[in-house]
Amino acid sequence: MAELSPKSPRRSQESIPFWRDIRILGVLAQIAFVILFLLAAGWLLGNVVQNLDTLGENQFLCRDGSSSLRCAFDWLRLDAAFDISETLIDYDPSDPYGRALVVGVLNTVRVTVIGIILATLLGTFAGIARLSDNWLVNSVAKWYVDLFRNTPLLVQLFFIFFGVILVFPAIREAIQPFGLPLYLSQRGINLAWPVVMPSWPVWLAFIVLGIIQAQVLWVFLGRREERTGKESNRALWAVLSFLLVVVVGWFVTSANAESQGMLVPNSLRVRDFRDVEDVMVRRLGLASLGEFDVALDTGQLSQDTVDNSAFSVCAIEDSPAEPNLTAEFRGSSIPYTIAERAGRPDEATEAYAAGECEIFTANLAVLAAERNLLENPNDHLIITVPETPLRIDIPRIEGLNFTGGLKLSPNFAAILLGLVLYTGAFIAEIVRAGIQSVAKGQTEAARALGLSESQRLRLVVLPQALRVIIPPMTSQYLNLAKNSSLAIAVGFPDLWSTAFTTLNQSGRAVQVFVLVMAFYLTLSLSISFLLNWYNRRIALVER
Amino acid sequence: MATIYQNLQSLVSTDRHFSFNARQFVEENITRSWTLTLWLVILTYVTVQFAIGELLTEPILTTIVLVVWLGTVAWTALNEVTRQHVPVTFWLKNNLYSSITNVLLTLLLTLLIISFLRGFIGWAVVRASFSTNPEVAEETLAEYGDPGANWGAVIDNLGQMAIYRYPRGEVANLYLALALLVVLAVPSIIIFRSERYRKSLLRRALTLAWVTLPLVVWFLLRGIDYWRIAAVIAAIVVVYVVGSAASAWARQRGAVIRTAASLLWVLLAVGLVVLTANLTGVSDSVAYETWGGFLLTIVISVFAIAVSFPIGLVMALGRRSTIRGVPAWLTYLIALGIMIWGLLYSTPANLEAARTPTEQLYAYWPLAVPVIAFLFQRYFAGNVLALFSTMYIEMVRGVPLITVLFMSVILFPIFLPPGMEFPATLRVMAAAALFSAAYLAENVRGGLQSIPQGQYEAADAIGLSTYQKYRLIILPQALRAVIPAIVGQFIGLFKDTTLVAIVGLTDLLGTANNISAQPDWLGVRREPYVFIAIVYFVGSAIMAGYSRRLERELGVGER
Repeated sequence: MAELSPKSPRRSQESIPFWRDIRILGVLAQIAFVILFLLAAGWLLGNVVQNLDTLGENQFLCRDGSSSLRCAFDWLRLDAAFDISETLIDYDPSDPYGRALVVGVLNTVRVTVIGIILATLLGTFAGIARLSDNWLVNSVAKWYVDLFRNTPLLVQLFFIFFGVILVFPAIREAIQPFGLPLYLSQRGINLAWPVVMPSWPVWLAFIVLGIIQAQVLWVFLGRREERTGKESNRALWAVLSFLLVVVVGWFVTSANAESQGMLVPNSLRVRDFRDVEDVMVRRLGLASLGEFDVALDTGQLSQDTVDNSAFSVCAIEDSPAEPNLTAEFRGSSIPYTIAERAGRPDEATEAYAAGECEIFTANLAVLAAERNLLENPNDHLIITVPETPLRIDIPRIEGLNFTGGLKLSPNFAAILLGLVLYTGAFIAEIVRAGIQSVAKGQTEAARALGLSESQRLRLVVLPQALRVIIPPMTSQYLNLAKNSSLAIAVGFPDLWSTAFTTLNQSGRAVQVFVLVMAFYLTLSLSISFLLNWYNRRIALVER
Repeated sequence: MATIYQNLQSLVSTDRHFSFNARQFVEENITRSWTLTLWLVILTYVTVQFAIGELLTEPILTTIVLVVWLGTVAWTALNEVTRQHVPVTFWLKNNLYSSITNVLLTLLLTLLIISFLRGFIGWAVVRASFSTNPEVAEETLAEYGDPGANWGAVIDNLGQMAIYRYPRGEVANLYLALALLVVLAVPSIIIFRSERYRKSLLRRALTLAWVTLPLVVWFLLRGIDYWRIAAVIAAIVVVYVVGSAASAWARQRGAVIRTAASLLWVLLAVGLVVLTANLTGVSDSVAYETWGGFLLTIVISVFAIAVSFPIGLVMALGRRSTIRGVPAWLTYLIALGIMIWGLLYSTPANLEAARTPTEQLYAYWPLAVPVIAFLFQRYFAGNVLALFSTMYIEMVRGVPLITVLFMSVILFPIFLPPGMEFPATLRVMAAAALFSAAYLAENVRGGLQSIPQGQYEAADAIGLSTYQKYRLIILPQALRAVIPAIVGQFIGLFKDTTLVAIVGLTDLLGTANNISAQPDWLGVRREPYVFIAIVYFVGSAIMAGYSRRLERELGVGER
């Protein structure tokens, strides 16, 4: 083996012949190594070219029909001709291979980012639970960590996918754990999710305002504490004032938001949105809608009556008007059905004109325009629907599928759950070790200084623990990003999965591998760059 | 009995001093801060809700739990208030009931664990079928509305999961390999442990046997007949004996003879390789395709661990090497030469053929060559060894194992000259080893970094050669420091062998996947996965336990 450690140069005057000078020999050996490497690479490349020729299809076909190494990636413009089950951007089998790969990249990034966030939360939680003074909490966390760390991720993924998610009950018997708005069925996981309304930016401004004034208050109270020496509960006041601004902002925004409406025929006898409730009360024959649940339970009201008297609603697909209206209906337990969900406003109007529904909901401008297209615009009334900045959209069964809320396909749910549980177990150990690495004297010193528990954690323990936690955490995040490529085992179309299909369809093995490797390298390097930057920021400043 | 009696006695005895200040208690445990109060309210709500739910589904068990919980809490509280703990309540106070939060959490978790265990045991034992006869199993499971595990599928397939399609006529070879392992392991425990055999011939022979063992096991797995294996062993022994005798004799002679002796070594070793290569080529051997199940998992793991170790070691040393690199003037000279050549002969043609601005930009690739040369000099000081090691390590660590495995299966044949082929099993094994080597290199590098500069200087000062310095001073310390990391990585490798199931080999996971496709056990998925998860868990636990023992024996962190 060559010289591997620094050595001071020889002092002696006699010169060594160069063929025995280990330094020169070393350099020569390195040059020889490079030449050998280049020769081997050349040989391999020659083999590749030769093999690709015999594979039949022209790998380097240009668009003009000629063939050149220059055009090695021209095939990315050809039609992919395969479908992808889940996409973040519009994708169609007639789109080119390049777009299919971009879809895969976005899916990988999605699963990685969500996975990292959830795994960090779970891991931190389990890591702190590992240090709990409750023996039971401690042991449960220990069992979780041991079990998930010591079994292969792939086995876990297969078990979660084939053994748990795919044997969920059919959609009609969806499991609802603990009565939460969360449905587990063969279609995957459907859960309630907030939908952004047009007035959301206004409320967002209030939130920003709240944060700013909470900061100002925090600083102001801090100064006052310093000046007067009197303690005040800064955190409580800051949070309370923030909440106050946000809540006031919510109501102000809701009161002033008038963008969503509904179109109803005059015959429905609704002049104002509040009349809707009266109409339904009359239809159901109840004294008020407050009795709705009771009446349904006691049998005073049959499910048929409810179904028959429910409002039928027409809406435009993916518009905020529908969740807005249905949330309002649910709030006052007014039964409704979505009769038509049209892709374009005019289709919805047609359905409304044909009498398929009693209510057509959309934003006011659209409704005004659409009303004029009706036969007798004066027979129809536009009513403003109350709006809040966010509406919770709850999944409902419509036909054979869930609509509304957030939908996680079985494949996505499986890969996400698998990655989060697996990586969470590793992160738990890192967090535990990090917290334990802070010497006990630090805690005692903090107590002796009279810091409160939260101050002790925030100012003494956490900054020191983070220094130990960040570097191994980086490698866990990297592992999660790389392990996301196992999505192919559960059929989630991440980058590697789409690339593999691309490879099989196009036969461009070398190019596909080059692209995939380049992407994963970039992803890994950017994650490690980000966290290294963060690590440098919080690292111990050595003096 | 005596303790229980004493406990009861202390419970009813009257000489207790109550010292309980309710106001202080509430202040300390409930109203200390508003977050604590809020948290307690939420926790109480959740616990009560859950307990009610459990009471409705499983009244008897939940009632018992509630009664026991109430009883122990009351008992602990009483003893705490009167400051007269018995061991049980003392433990309870410290570990389960140390605060109101913990009292509630204990109940919540107990109920959760019980409901989980009830579900799991019900599935795995109570409602399960253990019959290997599919019809009987079906009948048994049909009795329950919510059928449990069908363990018969696993029991029926134990052989498949162990050795997959390995010819059943050759199974004796596997037993022989196992027996060899045991025969070597038993004396090794004594001989390698004891100082008495430190220089003995026995120890050297045993070392040689361990070195030879992988080769022999490999031959046995391939089903090569015993006489040929015996011939190989004999050849190895001859090479070793002749080689060591020759080097012992040559040590006293001049440089020429020493070189000649080394050459003899190399020649003999090459001859051995040729001999074994010819032997493995025989036609009556067991095909690689029949390896599978746990056998394949073990073979891949052991091979990858054994091969990745030396490669990783070299790579780590290479990355840290400070050997004098290619001089800057030479690097720039070569780079300039390439650049000028490229600008003269490549760029014009490419520019002409370029259709887009991007392609025009690509045509100027020669301009990048001096930049690369500059970066090479700036960050590696011209050290080719460090450059290649670093590049290899970082590239392999940056990509997922699954892509590397697919590369070995799909891409590797394209890189070979037409007509040359390797079995997929071997390719995957090599890929796993090369992948693992990069991670191992980083672990070893961590160990090397922990060695103070003084150790290198001391080794140089007492006149050790570079080889001796690393062999005797640096590596023993560096490797000892990173045993936990290396074992952790090997556990990871052991678990990662499951990925070969995706690229078409049938390892333990692959056989488990196959079960659900068998006509007898159609759709049986959970049971095999649970079973192999247990296998992996036990395997990892054994490795982790061994690592801890090794750490203790070598005194990591003590010396």
